[in-house]
Amino acid sequence: MNVALGSAALLFGFGASVLGAVTLAVGLAKGRPKLLVLGRSYALMAFLGALIAFIVMERALITRDFTVAYVATNGSSKTPAVYNFATLWAALEGSILLWALILTGYTVAMVRKFRDRLTDPLVGWAILTMLVVCVFFFGLMVTVARPFLPFDPGPGFDGPGPNPLLQNHVLMAFHPPMLYLGYVGFTVPFAFAVAALATGRLGEGWLVETRRWTLFAWGFLTVGIILGAWWSYEVLGWGGYWAWDPVENASFLPWLTGTAYLHSVMVQERRGMLRVWNLSLLCATFSLTILGTFLTRSGVLDSVHAFTESGIGPAILAFFALTVAVTVGLIAWRGDQLRSPGRIDSPLSREGAFMANNLMFAAFAFVVLLGTVFPLLVEAVNGDRISVGVPYFNRMTMPIGLTLLFLMAVAPALPWRKASTELLRHRLYWPAWVATATLVVAVAIGARGLAPLLAFFLGGFAAGAALRQIALASRRQGWRGLVGRANGGMIVHLGVVIIAVAFAASQSFAHQGEFRLSPGESATVAGHTVTYLGIETVERPEKVVVQARVRVDDDGVFAPALNRFAFGGQAIGTPSVRVGFAEDVYLALLALPGQQTGSTGGDDPATGSSGVDDSGAAGDAADPSASGEPAADAVLLRVIVQPMIVWLWIGGGVMAFGTILAAWPGRRRRPTDPVSAPVDVGAGTSGPGPGDEGDGGDGEGDAPSTPEPVTVGS
Amino acid sequence: MTAPPTSDTSASDTNTSDTRTGGTSAAGTSARRGGAGSPWLWVLMGMVILATVVIGTRPDTTPRTNEERSQALADGLKCPTCRSQSVADSDAPVSKEIRSEITRRVESGETDAEIRAYLTGRFGDDVVLTPAATGVTGLVWVLPVVVLVVAGAALALAFRRWRERPTVAVTDDDRELVERTRKVRDEGDPS
Amino acid sequence: MSDTDQADHADHADHADHADQADADAPAPGESERVRRRGPIFFIALAVAAVLAVFVVVLATREPSQDRAADSPLVGEVAPPIQGESMSTGETFDLDSLRGQWVVVNFFATWCVPCRVEHPELLSFSRRHSQVGDASVVSVVFDDDADEVRQYFEDNDSTWPVIDGSGTGVILDYAVAQVPESFVVSPTGYVVAKITGGVTSVGLDQLLERLSGQSSATTAPNGSSGESSP
Repeated sequence: MNVALGSAALLFGFGASVLGAVTLAVGLAKGRPKLLVLGRSYALMAFLGALIAFIVMERALITRDFTVAYVATNGSSKTPAVYNFATLWAALEGSILLWALILTGYTVAMVRKFRDRLTDPLVGWAILTMLVVCVFFFGLMVTVARPFLPFDPGPGFDGPGPNPLLQNHVLMAFHPPMLYLGYVGFTVPFAFAVAALATGRLGEGWLVETRRWTLFAWGFLTVGIILGAWWSYEVLGWGGYWAWDPVENASFLPWLTGTAYLHSVMVQERRGMLRVWNLSLLCATFSLTILGTFLTRSGVLDSVHAFTESGIGPAILAFFALTVAVTVGLIAWRGDQLRSPGRIDSPLSREGAFMANNLMFAAFAFVVLLGTVFPLLVEAVNGDRISVGVPYFNRMTMPIGLTLLFLMAVAPALPWRKASTELLRHRLYWPAWVATATLVVAVAIGARGLAPLLAFFLGGFAAGAALRQIALASRRQGWRGLVGRANGGMIVHLGVVIIAVAFAASQSFAHQGEFRLSPGESATVAGHTVTYLGIETVERPEKVVVQARVRVDDDGVFAPALNRFAFGGQAIGTPSVRVGFAEDVYLALLALPGQQTGSTGGDDPATGSSGVDDSGAAGDAADPSASGEPAADAVLLRVIVQPMIVWLWIGGGVMAFGTILAAWPGRRRRPTDPVSAPVDVGAGTSGPGPGDEGDGGDGEGDAPSTPEPVTVGS
Repeated sequence: MTAPPTSDTSASDTNTSDTRTGGTSAAGTSARRGGAGSPWLWVLMGMVILATVVIGTRPDTTPRTNEERSQALADGLKCPTCRSQSVADSDAPVSKEIRSEITRRVESGETDAEIRAYLTGRFGDDVVLTPAATGVTGLVWVLPVVVLVVAGAALALAFRRWRERPTVAVTDDDRELVERTRKVRDEGDPS
Repeated sequence: MSDTDQADHADHADHADHADQADADAPAPGESERVRRRGPIFFIALAVAAVLAVFVVVLATREPSQDRAADSPLVGEVAPPIQGESMSTGETFDLDSLRGQWVVVNFFATWCVPCRVEHPELLSFSRRHSQVGDASVVSVVFDDDADEVRQYFEDNDSTWPVIDGSGTGVILDYAVAQVPESFVVSPTGYVVAKITGGVTSVGLDQLLERLSGQSSATTAPNGSSGESSP
């Protein structure tokens, strides 16, 4: 029943998308507005199909209906109920279903927002683009990635449950949906970019109207990435949060181009420039989401997220090729016609800083993309197999990251059009002192090394600049000085600085050690003492959990564990973390008593304690049983002490908060007209008046509220 | 369209404490307002920064312990099963074996290069996480730098070209043209 | 472009044209016709398209990573030694003592599901060939619980030697990345094949037939690469 209903719903959604796309295409080609309006109904039907399929699948998962093959391979009667809901996105076919649901949801929202303008060909093209993307995803689900395949469970059949790594932590319930809301959200501005290219109507403020959509998509993507890093830290047991893994990079690449877009679109709004570049950024962002999906799902690159590959790789690659061909073709055809004829007066200006910002983000994206796919390229050229790992990415992205911190410090102080060094010196005075203070404090508490110190200095600089902007804006406008694009943006910058500083600190000053401890024994790492208390076994329906109780610093007892799941497979570890504002003490249980782990016999480095790098003391173990044979009741414990980890998550929260503030509608003001584009639709304007510098505070660069055109029904 | 003015002035901004003129008069006013422009404070700042950086980057001359060497080696090698994690971070059985082998070899006196050579001989070149700097592989280091330099140069060129285009004095004919076009457009506005 | 927005487009083009002329320098000769100009964006887009086309072709011709696991630098080399006390029988085992017959060296773990799936295949292979005396099996475990291994072999009536490889360097000598992996060693002591993902009894037989047909005594056939079972 579930199989039939689900398959029917998907087929319905597929049919609706196809018909909708065809109808709109005909309507656009033949100039029949009545057909364009029908797009709304088809979008709704497609959404209905996806929604029903989603509900059916969730029902099947929650009731453990093993007649559905997806449930049989991913569900289990032993999995706790919460994880059953999240099992929908634990494997390939369900993830595509989630994607389709969010995509059709966005399409319906878009249709609703522009419901009064459905006959406008530009809106028609946008909806057509969305529907074509829907066709692809529904198409996947009715061909190569079918969630509703039937299965014949024997009597007493029980599924294996989702991948153990995916049922260890509740974050799994949030990270993929957030990520998809971000990914898929970028499809909307992309659709409008395609529409603008196809119709040649570029200067009408469509990108401005969809600004808030883009901001939300970006916000969700940011939160999704942070949650992914958090999950990685809490679940995977290696104590890190970012490994430049292909899947992580796949989510990071669209974020980079999306961030570049959010900045350069401001240049378009103010100066009417960079129009084709902004369109290219939107097209690139969408293409990168498709490419990222391909790299993740096709199996060409190894990854922690390796789902089993089916025929889905070629299909996604074909869609990527299609997307790229269409967008590059459109840009080649239209780009030169649509170029704005304006110019930038001086590189030392807000526009100049934004262009430098875009350059840096583009370079960043290039480095990450190149590093991710380079093993494939080399193999194609000469058959060698190489790896491009963390050392490459860290080394190459560090200068770019530092430059971006510098730009974050300088740009808010730069006025539009032109600045003098005098002005800059004046405005950057206090931020420079904040930077100096940060540097001094950092060295005082023991930070060493040029790169981290540079990061702290520039981070302080950027934070000082952001705080100065916020202070000035609130002084001028009270609480309204905190909302609106510019001020919300400053708070987002603060979040970025917090993350950057925390990243630098935790990467540079970590200490770790592995210890074999019998009950009652202790070890020390970087000033923290861990005492192993004993083993405890907990039996759950889906797994047997063996916990090692460890006391940290006489402060609390933590329980890193090893889980043995009912259906077999390697034991999966659950780390336990003592979170602190200054540093985290991270505990992972590597081996139980009696388990051979490759460090047996005479070559046992039982006192293996290592300070990870240059700064600071190495940990030492107060472990007397140093020689040879490990004690029969000894566990192998890994202890990692890293500073400022919690600030990564706090910084993410600040970024999310800043995004919400930035999306806050500003006061209705006279909109700023771009220099060389037609006046915005629906805005009551009095012509191209004082224009760029007319609104109070533009030179400051923090227009206290967004000079947005009035939009209908937004 | 009016030609853009070359200096920033704003009547509505007078109640902020910052003036926005780019001229040298700012120096005088800001010096009065408490030192933001005073060169001596900048010199002091520079000295503080320099001193702190010198303290903070004094090279650490303590020789590396065996544990540190093992850790560094393990950090630079990829776990053969876990796709992109380093041997140091991974919990896979083979990683544990490799870690203990590395420790054994470090303690028996082998050099880093020898240990790496042993492992690449067994598991292949893709077990080293840092790509080589020579040959085709070296492109991964070179290309981003080249791209950045080229893009930066293109941007600089664009800026220079923009500067060289003279600003056009707006004639009455131009204004008339704009008005006419506006009227046509407003009247013929489809939506 | 459709007729309905022809007006829009013409309007926009006019406006853009006029704006351009009003704002820019004195119109240069080549720039009067804006509509069909092949400007820099066209050529940049062309270059981008070319690069991306090559990129897509490269991606399309890659094989999934799983298939790459079966290549091994060990094939064609002398089989690294395996010595130790068998956990199932208690006797000392030495790989060299099996010179003269084919040996399947099977890396195994009790917690590994595909290993347990392939175990019956090995069992049937072992039984048949031990009667004939031309091939035998040896298992190597690491990172496993000794008691569970013993129990497993007992439960399955598996009588071939099983060695604990942890810490002995055998794992690294054979460059075992994952379990299950099996290596086929020729009667002359060379590794001739590596199989990942699980073996089948029939598959092993066919492999042995093929290899015996190819090789005669001394040199091992170089380049007979491992096959990965489905």
